[in-house]
Amino acid sequence: MKSTRGLILLVALGSAASASAQDPRISKPHLDAASSVIVNALVDSAKARGLPYTALEDRVNEGIAKGADGPHIVAVVRNLYTEMVIVRTWLGAMASADELKAAASAMQAGVPPVELGKMKQKSLLRSLVTPFTVAADLISRGVPVGTAVNAVKSLVGAGAKDKDINDFQRNVKEDIQQGAPPAAAAEARAKTSGKPEEKGKPDSIDQN
Amino acid sequence: MENIVEELQRPVRLDDSFERRLMVRVRRLHAERRKRRGWLGAAMSIAQRPAWATALAAGLVAVVTFGVIRVRQGEHVVAANGLEPVNFVLVAPAAKSVKVVGDFNNWGLNDSALVATNNQGVWSVTAPVKAGVHRYAFVVNDKQWVADPRAPRSAGDDFGMPSSALVVEDSTK
Repeated sequence: MKSTRGLILLVALGSAASASAQDPRISKPHLDAASSVIVNALVDSAKARGLPYTALEDRVNEGIAKGADGPHIVAVVRNLYTEMVIVRTWLGAMASADELKAAASAMQAGVPPVELGKMKQKSLLRSLVTPFTVAADLISRGVPVGTAVNAVKSLVGAGAKDKDINDFQRNVKEDIQQGAPPAAAAEARAKTSGKPEEKGKPDSIDQN
Repeated sequence: MENIVEELQRPVRLDDSFERRLMVRVRRLHAERRKRRGWLGAAMSIAQRPAWATALAAGLVAVVTFGVIRVRQGEHVVAANGLEPVNFVLVAPAAKSVKVVGDFNNWGLNDSALVATNNQGVWSVTAPVKAGVHRYAFVVNDKQWVADPRAPRSAGDDFGMPSSALVVEDSTK
């Protein structure tokens, strides 16, 4: 009997040691228990509301990877949750999960959610992931919120494709890096970017 | 250098009929060999064409295991089923190692970071990434967080270390 118990104990210890060796997470930093409880509650709430809850989990992983402490991660996740709730209200049911994530980022950068909602109302069938992302980027580079929003809105309104909007962002970034004032760079580039009628000059081809 | 980076970042796509045409050809080859040599003979022919057999086997394993087809063409990876090939490139001549971490690989937790290869100071790695919007960053020499200088910045609190935004378009839509 004793030998049977000993064998079971040995097997159990062996299994535990084996599991510990196979699971690389054991040696990785974790979210502390108190923070985990709050984060899990926010994730569950996001799931219940139909929000893209994986964005919250991604932020937890980002925080852990960057060595942030639990309260900091909780604060970031809580803010993102709140922003996704707000932007979903403004963007409406037509907004995709990625649009909500991008809109939340734009809101974090300073774009008023009402402006995000107006853009979506005018572009119900177009994905605004790239425009929202570019607006957030411009603001982070010093372009005033109103200028950034107007520039992106004018491009979307003119029928610019995502590639045009990405090119616009790259051009503005380079202008700023070369010393142009951010607002002037965005305004100037918005006037010349993503205008389909200016591309290719097909008229000259047709005349021949 | 800019041209090299542009070229590395340019995805190479196969048209939608590629998989169908590949399987038609595979079936035709298989049928021809069965007629000519019988089942055993056809199986032997795989050993005579190791490159072809390896590519086919790798493709089948990928389909079964990940539900994604990946075809190597030089430095480019073509992916399907909601995953798109993304080239991550960082010019860092002095770096000893460069990794890519982001939403798409759990930020490198559990040793899931993408390891870039060095080509005269241009570090690059191509990986299939789910269509959508992601945050990511480069980690240089396992300690320095670097945003992608060619990508939009990610907004919001980045825990004091920069991240970039990545929008991956679904090529099937």
